[in-house]
Amino acid sequence: MHKLDPEKRLALLAEEARKRQAQASREDVPTLRIVMSTCGLAAGAAETRAAFEEALERRGLEARIVAVGCLGHCYAEPLVVIHHPASGFPPLCYYNIDPGKARMLVDSFLLDGDPALEYVLGAMVPNDLLPAVTDFPRFSMEQRVVMEHCGAIDPHSLDDYLALGGYGALATALGRSPGWVLDEVARSGLRGRGGAGFPTGRKWRLAAEAPADSKVVICNADEGDPGAYMDRTIMESNPHQLLEGMALCAYAVGAEEAIVYVRAEYPLAVRTIQRAIDDARKAGLLGERILGSDFSLHIRVFQGSGAFVCGEETALIQSIEGRRGMPQHRPPYPVEAGLWGRPTVVNNVKTLSTVPAILTRGAHWFRSIGTEKSPGTAIFSVVGNVTHAGLVEIPMGTTLRTLIFDVCGGIPKKKAFKAVQIGGPSGGCLSGDFLDTSIDFDSLTEAGAMMGSGGMVVMDEDSCMVDVARYFLDFTQNESCGKCTFCRIGTRHLLLILDRITKGEGREEDLELLDTLSRDIRDGSLCGLGKTAPNPVLTSLRYFRDEYEAHVREKRCPALKCRALTAFYIDLDKCARGCDACVGCCPVEAIFTTRGRKKAIDQELCVKCGECVTACPPEYDAVVRVSPAHLAPIIERPQPSEGRG
Amino acid sequence: MIALDVDGRTIQVEAGITVLEACLQNGIFIPNLCFVKTRKRPHASCRLCFVEIDGLDRPVPSCTQRVRDGMKVRTDTEPVRRLQRSAFKLLMSTHICTPRECPTQGRCQLIRTAKLLKVSLKPSPLERLERDVDPVVRLGPLVHYPYRCVLCGRCVHVCGEESGHGLLTFAKRGFNTVVATFVSEGEEGPCAECSACVGVCPTGALTLEAPETAESEEPGRAADSGG
Amino acid sequence: MKDDARLSEEETMLRSIEAMLPRFEKNRAQLIPILQAIQEEHQYLSREAMRLVADYLEISPSEVLGVATFYNQFRFHPPGRHQIKVCLGTACHVAGGDIILENFERKLGIREGETTPDREYSVERVACVGCCALAPVAVVDDKVIGHMQPSKIEGLFLQFDLQREQEKAREAGEEADAQAGS
Repeated sequence: MHKLDPEKRLALLAEEARKRQAQASREDVPTLRIVMSTCGLAAGAAETRAAFEEALERRGLEARIVAVGCLGHCYAEPLVVIHHPASGFPPLCYYNIDPGKARMLVDSFLLDGDPALEYVLGAMVPNDLLPAVTDFPRFSMEQRVVMEHCGAIDPHSLDDYLALGGYGALATALGRSPGWVLDEVARSGLRGRGGAGFPTGRKWRLAAEAPADSKVVICNADEGDPGAYMDRTIMESNPHQLLEGMALCAYAVGAEEAIVYVRAEYPLAVRTIQRAIDDARKAGLLGERILGSDFSLHIRVFQGSGAFVCGEETALIQSIEGRRGMPQHRPPYPVEAGLWGRPTVVNNVKTLSTVPAILTRGAHWFRSIGTEKSPGTAIFSVVGNVTHAGLVEIPMGTTLRTLIFDVCGGIPKKKAFKAVQIGGPSGGCLSGDFLDTSIDFDSLTEAGAMMGSGGMVVMDEDSCMVDVARYFLDFTQNESCGKCTFCRIGTRHLLLILDRITKGEGREEDLELLDTLSRDIRDGSLCGLGKTAPNPVLTSLRYFRDEYEAHVREKRCPALKCRALTAFYIDLDKCARGCDACVGCCPVEAIFTTRGRKKAIDQELCVKCGECVTACPPEYDAVVRVSPAHLAPIIERPQPSEGRG
Repeated sequence: MIALDVDGRTIQVEAGITVLEACLQNGIFIPNLCFVKTRKRPHASCRLCFVEIDGLDRPVPSCTQRVRDGMKVRTDTEPVRRLQRSAFKLLMSTHICTPRECPTQGRCQLIRTAKLLKVSLKPSPLERLERDVDPVVRLGPLVHYPYRCVLCGRCVHVCGEESGHGLLTFAKRGFNTVVATFVSEGEEGPCAECSACVGVCPTGALTLEAPETAESEEPGRAADSGG
Repeated sequence: MKDDARLSEEETMLRSIEAMLPRFEKNRAQLIPILQAIQEEHQYLSREAMRLVADYLEISPSEVLGVATFYNQFRFHPPGRHQIKVCLGTACHVAGGDIILENFERKLGIREGETTPDREYSVERVACVGCCALAPVAVVDDKVIGHMQPSKIEGLFLQFDLQREQEKAREAGEEADAQAGS
């Protein structure tokens, strides 16, 4: 039989893929790309899609609907990109498309050719007719390496990935040698995107040189950091890029088995990646003798069962072995003795997904992005009190200020910036003084935060830093595996102390105790979870000490957030006689009518949910929140007889 | 045999053992709870056996370090003692037992540790923590006192890995972790009453004897009597 | 005392578990996938189910208990017909996720982790479902709902009530039909 080299085989596959694509899309048929990753669905993308389908059928129109992954613009979900070649417009990106707007778009744009520009975010490509999204800072200041094709291609279509040159890096590598991959990755300076930033090239080299018959590659997609979801997005939007990265890693280190460890809480990601594995195997891109070479690789999915600590590599391995996910003392490191005692490379989704681009475009190109010690891009999920929340991929070295204010549009509702929490439960809260910090592994660690998995929560003046620290400790003590003394018992003490501070029962000596105990937990814990668990406390104590002091000394929450320290009351001068807006919304019937037929709040019953603030018409704006709680004036509920009279 | 320097004293030990074993063999006491010689990989969970070793910038658990010829070890530096005292206080904030009722008759590792660290058995400045456990629990034929248990895992190890019975396990997670069994009360299960687990328990939290008197079953009162 | 209906329900479940076990390799590494498959099918892990798994994998049932109780995913009691999960990730916390949880708890008269006595609803908190830009988020019967508000909770229960009434009406109708037919 005629033997082809891997690159030629791949070229044939890509050629076929392009042919199939050409057959599927006709020039005269409009294409609707609907973002249907988990966040799109949460925003109602499935209902939007159903509305489009129904309207198209009713009008007897033909259109191709493609479910795509996430564009990263979560603030604008549900997002739809409509390409209607016959209209003369370039592909247009529509935002916040609910079923009503979907039906309207079918009538006005697809039927009558009027693109309804008021719902357009921008054109997808530069053109003469209207502004393109690529000119907006949210797009133009990003630099997409990992997320380049996210939201543009159909994640369930291997053809889409092949047509873009997918699996090209793997084919090239197979034609060269594992050493070439190792050298190139080492030269690129890529550092692990899972948080600690260990040089990927060095990790792979250690695994490659470890003497063993069989080795394993594990993709860590156990994205447990609350507030980070880029790994999920990458798997849901471009799964083949990750698989190609895993194949390259396996080839480089000499592994024939690989596992994607995905949280079971991400069902769509699990399904998407499983389908991609099956498709790639059928096409000969995974499995035995890949692309006709001597390299074989079997990838399977393992679903994590919900334990944050399993993001730690030794705990993750324990869990695959069917044990309690408790971290093990290192050394030995997994690259020496990991899963079933075999050398094991554990890499994050982002790290592995970066590799195909590095090999295609070269280590030199990768080094030209980012900073010297942290080359490449960083992906953050920027959420919280920020205008354009979502996923952002920026070159390393960008400042926090640029990211938050220029790329993501700053703080909404004219509120002031207070803090940014980076790195989730392991990271820290940085104050406004740090906005000019460069985003890279070393600068963030130096400031007391850490890159972590890329969760970034922006907080405005209404966020209480003590409450945020308490939140994170609640999380970590809940997720502690319970193995070592410092983490199991120490984080519980931290939580209890923070709890009493936010309830106004804090003592003067608590601040000192928080500080020393945090340091001991940091220095004494067994694994990374415990060592970093006190970071939210240490950083907030350092940068927002005045807030702690206000809680302890004055029983006052400056941000008016801690419920035990605040109270709501209705300003009788502003309250409108006869208005009932707040009464119905109160879940505990704490609002009553005063003798003067205005409204007041029964402080005994009030649960401080804040619903009445939302319900009070803005022209009155009569609900006031105060801290300490005793500042709220007490208004007696009129006796039933008085009320009636 | 190789030689190492511990607190200025030279000791001769066989190669391949841990620093903790080397010290214990030579009469140098380092507090420890979770160490079991037969473990393939150090458990390193109790966080008491810290030492400083020349060349390492911070204290490390001595059960995780193999001896090397010429190694210099310090067991009583301030950073070591700080971590040990802190870990000890944390353990004592969940350990409810008094020397008077201690079933180990003075062999309790915690009492010995308190003496070495020159601290009281009280957890202050930390508060005593409530745990959602019963004072006395039957684990097959065994009687377990969760308030005495420090979750060192020795019993789970000897029962599972060493004797292969598999009666005992850790259950739940985090602060709620307990030593437990699938076997229901009164049932023997896979236990051979070899009492290996009783023998390795450093705090007298496991016995094969009938439950103790009512007094010790009330942790609240026992706690008030002080340590 | 368990009533007969529940008993036979459990027996049916155990038999179906026994039937599915041979799909899996007899290997310790299959423990978590097996437990996941059982829960997927039957919503929870009963004591006897865990014993079956231990026997199948030839490990001690204590080990199965130890592993199952370690992970958040596994439940040991049957959940409600409608499962409500309130996200308490960071973004949801900042956006008032705890108030959403409280509203569910108050509305149903149960605490998180519990099931209503009629086994209609159960409420739990989850760490993060990864829809942070839509905070606060709740997951109701596997459907993620973004931008939760107390008023949306009211709407949700109205919908469930309506659904139940329709079901009842349909059942009553069917019964009437059956009677008319006989």
